[in-house]
Amino acid sequence: MLARSCVRPMRAFASARNGAVQITKRAASSSSGSSAESPLRLNIAAAAATAVAAGSVGWYYHLYGNSHAMTPAEEGLHPTKYPWVHEQWLKTFDHQALRRGFQVYREVCSSCHSLSRVPYRSLVGSILTVDEAKALAEENEYDAEPNDQGEIEKRPGKLADYLPSPYPNDEAARFANNGALPPDLSLMVKARHGGCDYIFSLLTGYPDEPPAGAQVGAGLYFNPYFPGTGIAMARVLYNGLVEYEDETPATTSQMAKDVTEFLHWAAEPEMDDRKRMGMKVLVITSVLFAMSVWVKRYKWAWLKSRKIVYDPPKEGQTKIRD
Amino acid sequence: MGFWDTITDLVEAATPWSVAEAEAPAQETTEETTAETTQEETETKPEAAAEEPAAEEEAKEEEEEEEEEEEEEEEEELQDPKEVFEEECRNSKECAPAKHHYDECVERVTAAQSQEGGANEDCVEEFFHLVHCATACAAPKLFSVLK
Repeated sequence: MLARSCVRPMRAFASARNGAVQITKRAASSSSGSSAESPLRLNIAAAAATAVAAGSVGWYYHLYGNSHAMTPAEEGLHPTKYPWVHEQWLKTFDHQALRRGFQVYREVCSSCHSLSRVPYRSLVGSILTVDEAKALAEENEYDAEPNDQGEIEKRPGKLADYLPSPYPNDEAARFANNGALPPDLSLMVKARHGGCDYIFSLLTGYPDEPPAGAQVGAGLYFNPYFPGTGIAMARVLYNGLVEYEDETPATTSQMAKDVTEFLHWAAEPEMDDRKRMGMKVLVITSVLFAMSVWVKRYKWAWLKSRKIVYDPPKEGQTKIRD
Repeated sequence: MGFWDTITDLVEAATPWSVAEAEAPAQETTEETTAETTQEETETKPEAAAEEPAAEEEAKEEEEEEEEEEEEEEEEELQDPKEVFEEECRNSKECAPAKHHYDECVERVTAAQSQEGGANEDCVEEFFHLVHCATACAAPKLFSVLK
């Protein structure tokens, strides 16, 4: 049964091959007769194809003009690599910098950008003390459980609450910001190519004036790092905008560095633990691997070190079988 | 702060010849200025004996100038190191080609803009090259300064 089903396609294959041979034969025999027509047809087809191609290119330019597609401005300037200390393998977040960065976020960024995935409890121990976090949470009001009449009252915030958003929803945010939506910053370092470098460059990269000839749309500001170079956020960080409690000079780049590191923490609060766990995994697996190699060599030693010798019979000593 | 910094800090703190100062710098400059002012005051005193009202006015003016200088010093403390380093890098030999192209483009485009019809190009690409060069050159210097 199996043999027959295998043979059948083979037969079909053979017949097809025969057919192909016949077709080539026919083509060879008929080419001598119609050889005078085919170059003309080919020329017509080539001319038509060229005309269609040239016409479509011309039509495109007629419609869209000398369009600037795939320009560097459209892509945006790629951020420079900065030597972030906390991104090294054996380094952790600088928690003093996180504290400064949180201050910058709270005093500057939080008027437009939400940080909706970060609860107050996660700030405890890494940025604020328990009392500071509790006091901060109590500054804001949150919806409480429904009371006896089913009405939802307001209560002061607790550690389990999340940081408040500046706007109730995206539409309100767009309306307040001239149609542009300030994105949530909780995962921003992970959400953008370049991560920390991009955010730092974006915050500090506003030039004093756009380069000559650059088109900046209405209500937009020129920033080379933003794709399209027109960003709805104006430059916000200026020297001395924030007064740090540890008396670090609050220059623009210092504030941008601190807030970027803080945003990296917000996006990846497990980074320190992750790095420590990674080191543990590397150390333990390398030791286990070395041990397993040793055990294998130990167990195989008798097999690897044996010697097989063929001792050919000498000529004079041939034995005659009985 | 690496591991080695901790050790060097400990060693420096333990050595008998080290001097522990909480906020050492920025003291000398103010001392110098006060010394200068005392010298100036002593210099102005004999003049004051000759022409008293005029000398008083001069002294007041000098005091105002000194105050202005002090304010300027405070402002200078808050100069963004990023701008300083990038300005240096922009004018360095490393970024000379990019700067040359950018300056040339700005000249060409502004000349075209002043004429009728305006410019049909912009200097964004040249600007990108210049900024990329300047930031890449300034990045390690900047992060060694920032906290």
